[in-house]
Amino acid sequence: MRHLRHAPVLAAVLFASSAIHAQETIKIGLVQPLTGSVAYNGNADVNGSKLAVEERNKAGGVLGRKIELVIEDGQCKPANSVNAAEKLIQKDKVVALSGAFCSSATAAIMPVAERYKMPLITGVSSKADLTEKGNKYFFRAAETDALLSRAFAKILANDLKLKNVAYVGVNDDWGRGGVEEFSRDLSAAGVKTAAKEYFDHGTTDFYTLLTKLRASNADAIFVAAETQDGSILVKQIKELGLKTKVFGVGSWATADFIQLAGPAAEGIYAAVPYASTMTNPRNQAFVKNYSARYNEQPGKYGNAGYNALNILMDAIQRAGSTDAEKIRTALASTDYDAPNGKYRFTDKGQAYGFSLALVQIQDKTPKVVSSASIDEPK
Amino acid sequence: MDLFLQFLVNGLVTGSFYALSALGLTLIFGLMRVVNFAHGEFYMLGGVLGWFVTTRLGLDFISGMLVVAAAMAAFGWLVDRLLIERVRDQGEEPGILLTIGLSIFLANSALLAVGTAPLKIEGPVANKLVLLGPVATTQLRLFSVAVCALLILGAHLLVRHTRLGRAMRATFQDPMAARLAGIKTERVYAATFALGCTLAAMSGMLLGSIYSAQVGVGGLISLKAFVVVILGGMGSFAGAILGGLILGVAEAMWGGYISTGLVDIIGFIIVILTLIFRPYGLFSTRSERA
Amino acid sequence: MKLERNLLFAFLLLAAALPLVVGDQYLLHLGIMVLFYAVLATSLNLVVGYVGEFSLGHTAFLGIGAYTAAICSLKFGMPMWATLPLAALVSALFGLAIGAITLRLQGPYFVIVTLAFAEVLRLIANNWIDLTNGPMGLAGVLQPRLLADGSNLFGKQFYFYVALGLAACALYLAYRFVYSNAGRAAVTVRENRYVAQSVGIRPFSYAMRAFVLGAMLAGLAGGFYAHYISFVGPEVFTFSFMITMIIVVLVGGKGTLVGPLIGALLVTLLEEYLREAKELRLSIFGLIVVAIVLFLPRGLMGFLTARRERRGEISAAPAAPADVAVAREGA
Repeated sequence: MRHLRHAPVLAAVLFASSAIHAQETIKIGLVQPLTGSVAYNGNADVNGSKLAVEERNKAGGVLGRKIELVIEDGQCKPANSVNAAEKLIQKDKVVALSGAFCSSATAAIMPVAERYKMPLITGVSSKADLTEKGNKYFFRAAETDALLSRAFAKILANDLKLKNVAYVGVNDDWGRGGVEEFSRDLSAAGVKTAAKEYFDHGTTDFYTLLTKLRASNADAIFVAAETQDGSILVKQIKELGLKTKVFGVGSWATADFIQLAGPAAEGIYAAVPYASTMTNPRNQAFVKNYSARYNEQPGKYGNAGYNALNILMDAIQRAGSTDAEKIRTALASTDYDAPNGKYRFTDKGQAYGFSLALVQIQDKTPKVVSSASIDEPK
Repeated sequence: MDLFLQFLVNGLVTGSFYALSALGLTLIFGLMRVVNFAHGEFYMLGGVLGWFVTTRLGLDFISGMLVVAAAMAAFGWLVDRLLIERVRDQGEEPGILLTIGLSIFLANSALLAVGTAPLKIEGPVANKLVLLGPVATTQLRLFSVAVCALLILGAHLLVRHTRLGRAMRATFQDPMAARLAGIKTERVYAATFALGCTLAAMSGMLLGSIYSAQVGVGGLISLKAFVVVILGGMGSFAGAILGGLILGVAEAMWGGYISTGLVDIIGFIIVILTLIFRPYGLFSTRSERA
Repeated sequence: MKLERNLLFAFLLLAAALPLVVGDQYLLHLGIMVLFYAVLATSLNLVVGYVGEFSLGHTAFLGIGAYTAAICSLKFGMPMWATLPLAALVSALFGLAIGAITLRLQGPYFVIVTLAFAEVLRLIANNWIDLTNGPMGLAGVLQPRLLADGSNLFGKQFYFYVALGLAACALYLAYRFVYSNAGRAAVTVRENRYVAQSVGIRPFSYAMRAFVLGAMLAGLAGGFYAHYISFVGPEVFTFSFMITMIIVVLVGGKGTLVGPLIGALLVTLLEEYLREAKELRLSIFGLIVVAIVLFLPRGLMGFLTARRERRGEISAAPAAPADVAVAREGA
């Protein structure tokens, strides 16, 4: 009844606001790598964000206004990301930021966000110390390598009967971090370290590295790599006839990785915060919309972008205004229902409550083998 | 010992790929004194076009490769006639800048066209494991090494035994005299550039079938090709081959025994050392005027 | 000479007035970037324009300066007024070492060996985790205590004036070098190495001087960069930075002192304007480089100077020695 009474007023407002639509959008800024070696995953993140915004705008927007995404290419490089953030804040006057994908780029724009009192969320950056910097404008809606490895190390050691693991990581902060965390937790579970090797982004020939791994008699290989490097590495593992088990973190279990690696992807285990085969109604709806829109199954990064934007938009809605402080407070009290569980934030800005899965690729789909959830850290 | 052999074979395989990809560059560098920074992008275009003709047009690998070769030869010819021709007399610098600008343009336009995902090219031979004693490699790699050798031989025959080849060598030795002898040097330059472009593109397609074709690969390929050319000596076939093999094996050994993270550095150290101690490379065919 | 000096002064004065007129932080940020690139381009111009050799490894000095400042700031707690001169000094030393090796080569060999050095430094920076923190980079370079309580706008204004000071310093040093005997000797070497040798000029030692000065200025710019962006990673050594520098020098005109300034202004503005085009931006950049090489090989300053030369000939009056010197500088 109340709605009917308000209907004419609402209609007038909506009509008026659509008439001056251009000025009335709420702008949210994205700093993601659109070019460079992780561009593929950065674009997936942007796609997820765009989907979230489209869904929201179709449902009426936020606070009666449409959301507009302003996307800048941070290239995963700190200096470019800082420039992009400055531009978004100063020139485009965005009310919140999502970015910058790579932990080093995010670390570079965190002080910028703090200086301008701009709420910043990342759905991806996993370096543990980001939430230890005391930046109250920064929220991380993602797992850290430490949390992943702690959740799964024991399971991996037991299920896969690991005795001697070789660690391979891409030579950047994320790859090194992943290797360090997993080797530490697996060693604590009694697994020996056979070797630790790193490779540069964009390496195409892994034969030398794989030869060393073969000589190290490892019975499993841990890999921290993204789609582009990971798919080539995995193909070459199979080419060389290495019969070791392979498990890893990164953009495994995504549709594009499986397609690129082809038959070489079979049997690989991945520790992921998201898999399109997670069974809950929210995910099923998400997978349906995402695949209809982009013609492929969503992966970890599409989900990350989707969640990040939804969390931001929810917060703006609950804050009731675009004031930065109010949005920040609203963010801190987030309780968001995502395709991979619930998201809540600690007072350091670290998310908890969502699920992680250990998947194995069977028949070109990631089958969930085991799952865990991230509990509230003490 | 097994490990050493495996590294050696790995190195020889990648080395032959380096040699092929550097061959085009050494011709252009040696003959035209143009530092072609777009070399890596020609390689990349070869890979991308290779993907296009095999996936979208449905051709098999060999015919696809012929199509790509023809297309890139035409492209190289046009680039030379329309762009490089105009700055030929102005010294080296404009050529460098021109090719840098061209490489930026090509790399980013390709990015816009096909996106960032690595592209699969179906090889002509399966990628099955082949064991040579203790050493593991694949059928496709061996096939590619064979194709490399064939292409290098073909280019060598072209330069040694055809009229075009003779014209190239004459222009290489003395452009003025060649012109006086009636050789149309503009055509020779264009043909050389086209040949260099085609060789780069074919190696790009070949290697794209082993690894995958990616849009961002140009920069590193150019640098490695320069390393090989400097090591081997400008304009020398034997130099390109030997230089490529040396680089491949050096990288494999360094990566294997020391650290895989720092593998690229060995190439640059080789360049620096070569330029200090033997600036004309191992096999220079032209004594360097000061 | 006079015209150049007046132009330089005018530029510096205008720039000094900017923060008083403009309150928008983003515009100030652009202004700071223009000044930063101006210093970098001036330093590169010394090598390219006055030694006459094309160095593709200039980012090496920028990077060394940036890392020196960052390491001194983070590991030793030095303030900015100490790290900047130190950055310049260390870069100059590296310039001495690298120049000693590379300046013996010419043409394409010089190009590639300088590139090789820059790449080696990048790989070292990427892998020597203990010193440089590898790909994680050095974050949180100390800001001057002065800025701690000030507003963001004040911070930008402060950095703007520091950048302006550095630009003035760089232009002054470059100007003094170019119009000194050393500078004239370097130009002679550039124009014709053999003639220079025949009148007793040793090409190597003069090339060295220009090179080391260029390295020092680049290092200074690098130190500034470290403090302003507050983050230094191995990407300061990458080729893309180098390309921007080259374009700035090209567009403005190498071999002139004003050229780099104009180039810095135009290129920064162009990058901003092209930001809207996003993915197309870099393609367009590439095309612009090609177009400049084909149609404006001496950059804008060269083009303007050539026009003045032609007009000078038409008016048939004998050109005053000062004007002739300027004209030749523009060549």
